[in-house]
Amino acid sequence: MAHDAPNGPPRPTGPGSPQDMPPAPGQPPLDPQDADKLPEPIRDELLAPAPGAIDTESRELRDGLNPCPKCGSTEVRHRAGSDRLVCLYCRHEWAATRVEEAFGLGDGIAELRGTQVASGARDIDPDALDLRSYRCAGCGAEVVINTASSMTARCHWCRHVLGVNEQIDNGAVPDAVLPFRIRKEDAVARIRQFVGSRRLFALKAFKDEFTPENVVGVYLPYMVVDARGSADTAGLGEVLTRRYTRGEGKNKQTFYDADVWRVQRHVDFTVDDLTLESSVARGNLDIRRNTHNVINTILPFDTKNAVTWNASYLVGYTSERRDRDVEHLMPRLREQMLSIARAQVQPSVARYDRGVRWEQERLDLEGTRWVAMYLPVWLYAYHQPGPDGGLRHYIAVNGRSGETMGSVPVQTWKLLLAALGIGTMVEALVLWIIARVA
Amino acid sequence: MDNETALFLLALGPVSAVGVYWAIYRHYRNTDKSHAFERETAVKVLSLHGSENDRKVDEVRGTRRTRIDGDNVGHHRQRVSPMPGADRLAG
Repeated sequence: MAHDAPNGPPRPTGPGSPQDMPPAPGQPPLDPQDADKLPEPIRDELLAPAPGAIDTESRELRDGLNPCPKCGSTEVRHRAGSDRLVCLYCRHEWAATRVEEAFGLGDGIAELRGTQVASGARDIDPDALDLRSYRCAGCGAEVVINTASSMTARCHWCRHVLGVNEQIDNGAVPDAVLPFRIRKEDAVARIRQFVGSRRLFALKAFKDEFTPENVVGVYLPYMVVDARGSADTAGLGEVLTRRYTRGEGKNKQTFYDADVWRVQRHVDFTVDDLTLESSVARGNLDIRRNTHNVINTILPFDTKNAVTWNASYLVGYTSERRDRDVEHLMPRLREQMLSIARAQVQPSVARYDRGVRWEQERLDLEGTRWVAMYLPVWLYAYHQPGPDGGLRHYIAVNGRSGETMGSVPVQTWKLLLAALGIGTMVEALVLWIIARVA
Repeated sequence: MDNETALFLLALGPVSAVGVYWAIYRHYRNTDKSHAFERETAVKVLSLHGSENDRKVDEVRGTRRTRIDGDNVGHHRQRVSPMPGADRLAG
């Protein structure tokens, strides 16, 4: 640290100034957290958002209060069936800004280069604590919120509602949230209808305990990705040139002649709002161990209507925290991009009427943009006991479109009996026909 | 009725039993379902080329196969060998 003369000129603050020198022996080093003491250019560089980052944080809500813009009350709820918030005190209604428009997330996909990560999708700090302490802006009391299970809490002194609005580094606060539009009673009716057409062979215990009113509204964590890529595929295709038969009567057989072509395609394409599960558990779609594939099936969501984060949307619902980073999801993105490329080139090889055998493929990901979102799902769960902890069956309803998909446990002996019965009837009919012919 | 036809007819019973079990099980458990991202995601093709370089390399005569061996044109999620030349990652 330089020692200035008491009445000397102002201390230089730019790069290369004495402040950039190592501290003298015995003096404490400069702390990067203490930004005010740093030289201005260094401070600016430290505080600037990371290159390629999109800052989506709601700074006006960082104090934890989500006040009504009209009366200031924090008794704010999501208005069921809409994307709006409503103040329970003065009944004023308003909607948060759509992220697509606020941060230009729908634009420039064709110009994407490199990896752009929105601030709510940045890497999770493994040491980050779930328990967070907030100072109530209403009375100054300390309020602790366990962000693993809840994103809002009520100050026990002044009854203000506090929400976790700052993008803490444990993955609990995404860039955007897509509010529930399907009401609970609608979700219950859809689940009842779904199970209603699957009652005959359903597990008896499942039918006995079936209570669709226990459905839970859950905000599940996803990464919504825009990407630009180019893919190459190469293989062989066949074109039918002649079809003919040989032999007579029962020995008649059909033969084919075909030309074999070497086929190669190159496709440049963009993908808008590809949605990937960003939790380890939900992203595991192993059908032998879980039924998460049914939750995956209710995708996609109208992610264009997602709004900037506001914890008030989560009041009355539960949420699950993101625990996967961009790096973890990159292989899955590449796999899906390759699949999309293969689907896109299919019409261009339609002339190969005997099909194409793709043998090689390659993807160049030129640019990606990652946004973390909470998407709304109504979940009904039933745990079927069994070896290795049993199996949890889910029935999921898309909280926006109402698309429903589920797994209903089967009464195995009943289904076996039915299959054997039908097989026996068919076999009896066949034996009767053979006997008649003979 | 020859032996081949009789065997085929006799197999119909077990085959229909397995088919019924499989169809009902799948209807209840939906193990085959997943998000059809290939069709349900907004994709914009900027350019698609390569057909001008397609060339005939061989002929097949007198095959009984109705499709090319290993046809995977509709199996978009089936991965094949990586093409020589390292993939580039967005970085």
